[in-house]
Amino acid sequence: MPVEPRAGDDEARLIARSQQQDPEAFGQLVGRYAGVIVNLAYRMVGNRADAEDLAQDAFLAAFKALPMFRADSKFSTWLYRIAANKCKDWLRAKHSEPVDLDDHEAVVAQVVETHTPERLLSQQQVAQQLEGALQRLPPLYREAFVLKHVEGLSYEDMQELLGVNVDTLKMRVYKGRVQLSRELSEWNDRQLPRSR
Amino acid sequence: MNEQDVLVQRFLDQDLTPDERVQFLEQVDADPRLRREWLNLEMVIAEAGRLPRIGPSTQFTARVLEALDPESKSLLDRLVGWMTAPRTLQWNLGGAMASACVAIVAVAWLLRLVPVRPVEVPFNSSSAQMVSLESTPTTYVRLVLVQPWAQSVSVAGDFNGWSPDRTSMQRSDGGVWTTTIRLKPGRYQYMFVIDGKQWLADPLATEDTGDGFGSQNAILDVGTTL
Repeated sequence: MPVEPRAGDDEARLIARSQQQDPEAFGQLVGRYAGVIVNLAYRMVGNRADAEDLAQDAFLAAFKALPMFRADSKFSTWLYRIAANKCKDWLRAKHSEPVDLDDHEAVVAQVVETHTPERLLSQQQVAQQLEGALQRLPPLYREAFVLKHVEGLSYEDMQELLGVNVDTLKMRVYKGRVQLSRELSEWNDRQLPRSR
Repeated sequence: MNEQDVLVQRFLDQDLTPDERVQFLEQVDADPRLRREWLNLEMVIAEAGRLPRIGPSTQFTARVLEALDPESKSLLDRLVGWMTAPRTLQWNLGGAMASACVAIVAVAWLLRLVPVRPVEVPFNSSSAQMVSLESTPTTYVRLVLVQPWAQSVSVAGDFNGWSPDRTSMQRSDGGVWTTTIRLKPGRYQYMFVIDGKQWLADPLATEDTGDGFGSQNAILDVGTTL
């Protein structure tokens, strides 16, 4: 699971202190997991400002709920679950609103790439199309696809995180893949006549 | 989902056995449509894994911590808040008595540290203060003279036979000399004697009179009621 950057005794101590509502210790946990949680939120909601707000809400909810946290699941999984639920709540509330595609360009422009300009242009274009297509996926498919192929979780981790059985998750990922593949193929077909 | 779709998804999810994978790849090789469908899905997965990761802003952690406790913005604010927060003290009789004993001992110890220093206040009218004791027919009179450089000061007058040795005065801080004498009601003349040789009329006396030798004696009028 990629969201376990520096787990261990040190993290156990930080969690224990945070359970005593120690803000300094919790601040260290936030520093460790802010990256994965903000990235997850961004992939779920499609814009940076909302992603940061949702990530903040997730951390605040985690801080309040930490006294109830038990070590029967990994802290990262527990935190991921809170963040995913925050994103789903947000998506339900924003279900009818169109996605702001302009925001994607701004985000991509912030990312430092080491590829050549030609490769960067091509990959940026594909990434932009994929990000746009991701935001058009139904939330449940998007959630499953993001966790599987963007965050790199196993189906077993996803099952623990989402409380949904593996077969259902595989079906959601499958439908997500197919819809994304269709959209990218159509976009690619539209690009071909221009490049000729 | 048809049979080929299931096969592709199982291949992508790595659910196929080695033999099944070989069979799948043979089918892909033979079927251009299946090959294209599979490659498109592979591209989606590959591109999804390459999507740029969005990091938090530099102020993200600080904002989260601030949101945890919006009231505390600085160390000073936290200190002030801690100092001024209302608290409920729980106590019992034993604890209260122990605290009282500690307080009494502490105060007694502090009092021992403080030197006994009577503060003498210069008089704005006369240097003589009189206190009448109703139970006796006499009056206590306090005489005060400021002489910072004097080595000794005494008072001589009618009440002690004009002897400069009988009623010495005591020095306190600031060069203030004082003495208290007991007198019966009446009018008395007196002078201060500095260092045993210099006679000085009380500069603060409200009344004085000539002594017949060219100097002035101070007059002390001790009434029956003061």
